[in-house]
Amino acid sequence: MSGEFHLSIVGLPSSGKTTFLAALWHMVREHGSTTALSFDSLSQDNYEHLNALAKRWRFGKIQQRTQVSGAKDVTMRLKDVAGQKVAVSFPDLPGEDFARMWERRELEKSMLETLTAPALVLLVNGDTIRMPDWVVERMALTKKMRTEPSKVEPEDWSADLAPTQVKLVDLLQMLMSGDLDIGERRLALLISAWDKVEGEKQTPVEILASKLPLLDQYLRSGRDPWTWHVWGVSAQGGVYEDPEKQESFPETDKLRELERASDRIKVVDGNAISSDITQPLKWLID
Amino acid sequence: MATQPLICSNADCSLASDRKCVEGYEIGECPHAGRISIDDIPEAEEPETVVTQPELPIALASGEALNRDRASILQRRRVSRSIGLIGPNDSGKTSLIAGIYDLLQERPLSGVAFAGSSTLLGFEKVCHLARAASRRNVPHTERTSRGADATFFHFDLYQEELGLTSLFIGDRSGEDYLAATDQISQANQFFEIRRADCVTLLVNGAQLADSGLRHEVRAAAPQMVDALIEARAIRAGCRLAIVLTKKDSVVASQHAERVQKDFDGLVKSISASHAGYLGEVKPFVVAASPKDCERVARGEGVGDLLLFWLRANLPTVALGNGTPPNFERMIDLFTHERSEN
Repeated sequence: MSGEFHLSIVGLPSSGKTTFLAALWHMVREHGSTTALSFDSLSQDNYEHLNALAKRWRFGKIQQRTQVSGAKDVTMRLKDVAGQKVAVSFPDLPGEDFARMWERRELEKSMLETLTAPALVLLVNGDTIRMPDWVVERMALTKKMRTEPSKVEPEDWSADLAPTQVKLVDLLQMLMSGDLDIGERRLALLISAWDKVEGEKQTPVEILASKLPLLDQYLRSGRDPWTWHVWGVSAQGGVYEDPEKQESFPETDKLRELERASDRIKVVDGNAISSDITQPLKWLID
Repeated sequence: MATQPLICSNADCSLASDRKCVEGYEIGECPHAGRISIDDIPEAEEPETVVTQPELPIALASGEALNRDRASILQRRRVSRSIGLIGPNDSGKTSLIAGIYDLLQERPLSGVAFAGSSTLLGFEKVCHLARAASRRNVPHTERTSRGADATFFHFDLYQEELGLTSLFIGDRSGEDYLAATDQISQANQFFEIRRADCVTLLVNGAQLADSGLRHEVRAAAPQMVDALIEARAIRAGCRLAIVLTKKDSVVASQHAERVQKDFDGLVKSISASHAGYLGEVKPFVVAASPKDCERVARGEGVGDLLLFWLRANLPTVALGNGTPPNFERMIDLFTHERSEN
């Protein structure tokens, strides 16, 4: 392992891409933390963006929405335990760009380089997965509960109503076709907001199968040459406050009281739990 | 020091040549002398405006149902099966397509897993009215437009023992298929049926349960098959699935037994009429998108039909009545250049 390595972080809006970056940058720079990849050196790059994200994260404040379009390039110079150096670069792309690919069926040329990276981190917010739901089953439930069916205006079809798993499958298919097809790729699938999901007592693989079964089938079928692995990640560890709303939560205070800020992080791989948020990156790079 | 040439802004003054002011002023006192004539000022050229066109975005695959050309390209990628769905309007063709897609949203169907699709957006559109997101209280399916060319919905499916198979399901208005029973030449345009490895005739269970409509259903369904075979739109040796749809309506009716009997008779009659021409003929009963799921589960019977669709056709070397298979039409499987109108 040495040299430059490009990977991209992709995900629909509010999937936790920026929070992941913030936690990652904090952790690799936190003195005393033991991670698969650690901070090597600063370069001439501009770290203002990363530092601002990490600062906000340490304060327990939610990240501002990533700009609506265009990428912010981020590069981290890291090394593994053997001292092998690697520069990992990944643009911080807004989720709207990916939503646009599904809804408008087009891609900005400026995204081409980002989306042809040989390794991808796909973030899926485990707390906001929109699952398909059928009229007939909802009506059966209404009948069983002896409630009146709602009298609302029917809603016309629009692409954004699609279940999360359909959008994700479409995105991954696009990344394996046309101008974006570069052949085999590695995919680290991170189910974010794991603190909201872990109550279901399922491993990340089981959550993938139960909450995103279409995506699970697609990846397992091997039709497209993804080498993939799934993790559960809680980059915040709990609820963060919105500074614009002057929020203040006791739960966030508890997070701040932890010995180290990185103790908030939870990375789940099967039944193994750690706080090493670099694990998925190490897997992508190996 | 060089003398500056004299000039005057008055076009009638010859100061420059004879050094005399036309208005009689001394050179130093003339208010116009030394000024440039308006005619001496060259016309300013419009600066070339460089308009930077925004870079055009890259167009991605539409995700809609495929036209025949696009379907042909995809068919060549891997082992594929093509399905022709026939039946009068409201027999449940689109509901069946949407139903299979929606069942795969939850889990593999009868051991068949979803492996990909080029028509996810198209599927989403046809599923919408049965989804809770539509905010309807009764599931519904949009009718396919009459007269429009057939389109194809596409699945890549994975089976543990067989690996990947691409499935293409043709979608055309039921009224167009009915028109072929009035005028057999109409069948010439049904390229999706000529391509089919398995033709699937849908029989509307709700109508068969209706005493007023029952006899028409029993008559129209076989006539449709007759017309398509007569026109050689259905290839010799092609498998035929005969599907009783809307099982929920049948079960809820007072004539469930009679419906089953009528359906069995219909299957028997079609099988007997075309035993020498068709490959295997098999009946199915499904509830792809029931209006009530208390007595019939959503998707009941659909898995068995899917497995039948995915089966390979047996080679049709010799047919029972000695009729040679119609290889002429089989060229449609491999090319789309042939004129079919």
